[in-house]
Amino acid sequence: MHETQSKAPGELFFSLILLLVSCVLFWQAYQIDEFSSLKSPGAFPMAAAAVMFVTSSITFYNTAVKHFRVDGLAKKRISIMPLPVVIILATLLAFAVVVESVGFLITAYVFLFITIKFLYQSGFLKTAALSLAVLAVIYVVFRLVFQVVLPEGIVPEREIIAWFESLFK
Amino acid sequence: MESLQFFATSWLSPDLMLLTALGTFLGIYVGAIPGLSVTMAVSILISFTFAWDINNALCLMVGIYMGGVYGGSRTAILLNIPGAPAAIATALDGYPLAKKGMAGQAIGLSTVMSVVGGFVGIFVLAVAAPLVSDFALAFQPRDYMMLGILGIMLVGSLSGESLAKGMFAGALGMLIGTVGLDPLTAEERFTFGHVELWEGIHPVAVMIGLFGLAESLEQLHHLDKAIIKQKVSRIVPSWKDVKRFLPLSLQTSSIGVIIGALPGTGGEIAALMAYDHAKRVSKKPEVPFGQGAKEGLIAAESSNNAAVGGAFIPMLTLGIPGDAVTAVFIGALFIHGLNPGPLLLETKPDMFWFMVGTLTMANIFLLIFGLTGIKIFSKLIQCPKGILIPVIFVLSIVGAYSINNSVADIWWMLGFGVLGYFMKLYGYQVGPVILGVILSRLIDENWRRAIIAEREDLGAFFAGIFASPLSLILLSAIMLILLSKVSFIKEWVGRIARS
Repeated sequence: MHETQSKAPGELFFSLILLLVSCVLFWQAYQIDEFSSLKSPGAFPMAAAAVMFVTSSITFYNTAVKHFRVDGLAKKRISIMPLPVVIILATLLAFAVVVESVGFLITAYVFLFITIKFLYQSGFLKTAALSLAVLAVIYVVFRLVFQVVLPEGIVPEREIIAWFESLFK
Repeated sequence: MESLQFFATSWLSPDLMLLTALGTFLGIYVGAIPGLSVTMAVSILISFTFAWDINNALCLMVGIYMGGVYGGSRTAILLNIPGAPAAIATALDGYPLAKKGMAGQAIGLSTVMSVVGGFVGIFVLAVAAPLVSDFALAFQPRDYMMLGILGIMLVGSLSGESLAKGMFAGALGMLIGTVGLDPLTAEERFTFGHVELWEGIHPVAVMIGLFGLAESLEQLHHLDKAIIKQKVSRIVPSWKDVKRFLPLSLQTSSIGVIIGALPGTGGEIAALMAYDHAKRVSKKPEVPFGQGAKEGLIAAESSNNAAVGGAFIPMLTLGIPGDAVTAVFIGALFIHGLNPGPLLLETKPDMFWFMVGTLTMANIFLLIFGLTGIKIFSKLIQCPKGILIPVIFVLSIVGAYSINNSVADIWWMLGFGVLGYFMKLYGYQVGPVILGVILSRLIDENWRRAIIAEREDLGAFFAGIFASPLSLILLSAIMLILLSKVSFIKEWVGRIARS
């Protein structure tokens, strides 16, 4: 019996999702103004969604043919979600959830510590120092030089900056 | 005389000069680190320049673009890993030269020839853009619409493995661009009843997600790739070599600028075509091509930097970005209140000449930074990805948040990052998505203008196309791309060619 496998697992499922999304978007585009006129606000979105539907159908068909073909299949199988990707995505989600309430400084530090520890696999102290150094550079460049506003959260950043400024006055 | 005054604006201000230098320096290093692209750098940095004066923002971005295209050649030569797609052809002969212990010579020659190419590109931009702009004033709305579609289709068909996937990506981008209130009638489109969506999805959040996050997530697959160290000797090239290869450099720069000016092409295709040209015209290279021929290296490097000036022509005169980087660039221009298109040169000639002046300055900085600091460079490109990737994630989050000081943009960025990651994994190009987002409004508005002008009569619309040579050429180009990818037509053409 031949084993059926595609180059990247999940390709068929992904193309099916895109096809379904295209159908939903086409329906949504139709809902804007139905087929009222060629100059209506819904005409262009409907055309774009129609292109999405047609092209995703072609891709789904081609992927399905490739997927269920018995001979000449790609032998190389790659992992679509290796552990680093899963962990990074989970930490990124956690970052986005807590950044406003906890603040950028603490969240970014914890994020950098976890991800550098996991990806670079250095010792505890080295990781802690590296994360601090990286965060300090990012903070100085973007917050202090570029004046980018970042969520303060529980850290009284403005007071701290004002205190530092008073030291130099 | 006035043009010269505008040209010199960035040269006379120390701040602008410093920002251009900083941008070029950053561009070289970002472009050189495999996995980090110019598009990624420009996308992330745009969000930080929102509050800046337009001139400051432009200096930084022009520098990054110019430096980034060149920076890709460094790792192509030293590690056989092109830092940017435009450096793919550079690796063909650059790496064999490095393996022979001539990495320094290869870097030096590529730097000088990149600068030559850059100057050719800028010269053509300065001469051709006003002419193209005058010509473009005669464009009808239907021509703009077709030009926009053509740009997306070219990027979709040239850069990806399948036209269907490229077109899907472009259409998805166009649909994302329509989210929010319709600019003409204020009717809601894809808002699902949420007031927060009335202003649409910010293109920069999409850009950072697709180019910053998705690319970094993809890099997590290659964490274990070891870096091979090369010995780098003297990098300033000999005058004899420069003089000998200058004619070839000028020839291939011309190819680069022409290819770069075509929507959807860019440095990658320009470099490959120039490489092919060099192969044909160099009858007796010292070393065969592919084994360290200096001619191959020079052709690739001159043309990909010349393509930068070329890519600015359709971007500034027609408002049509040629590739993903110029799409990001055009997005930045819109955000800063500039409307690239035929009227830009009429209404804001100062901005055009300012950009030409800044490009020229960035090209000079390229020569300075390119021929110095090789030791720092060798250290920097060895920066472990385990540290680099988390930094990019934090920068992406900071960039997304700073768009509107809102966590919602972080969520959009994450969403598009994950989508982009899977799209890349399954062979979809993300470049057409961003091109679609940027061009969506242009296509939508011009379609409606065109059809209103014809009183909603599709027959009259097509009759208008067939009556105008320009419209007909554009329609033919679109049809040609579409048909050239249909398998049975490809087979038929192949059969004719064989017989």
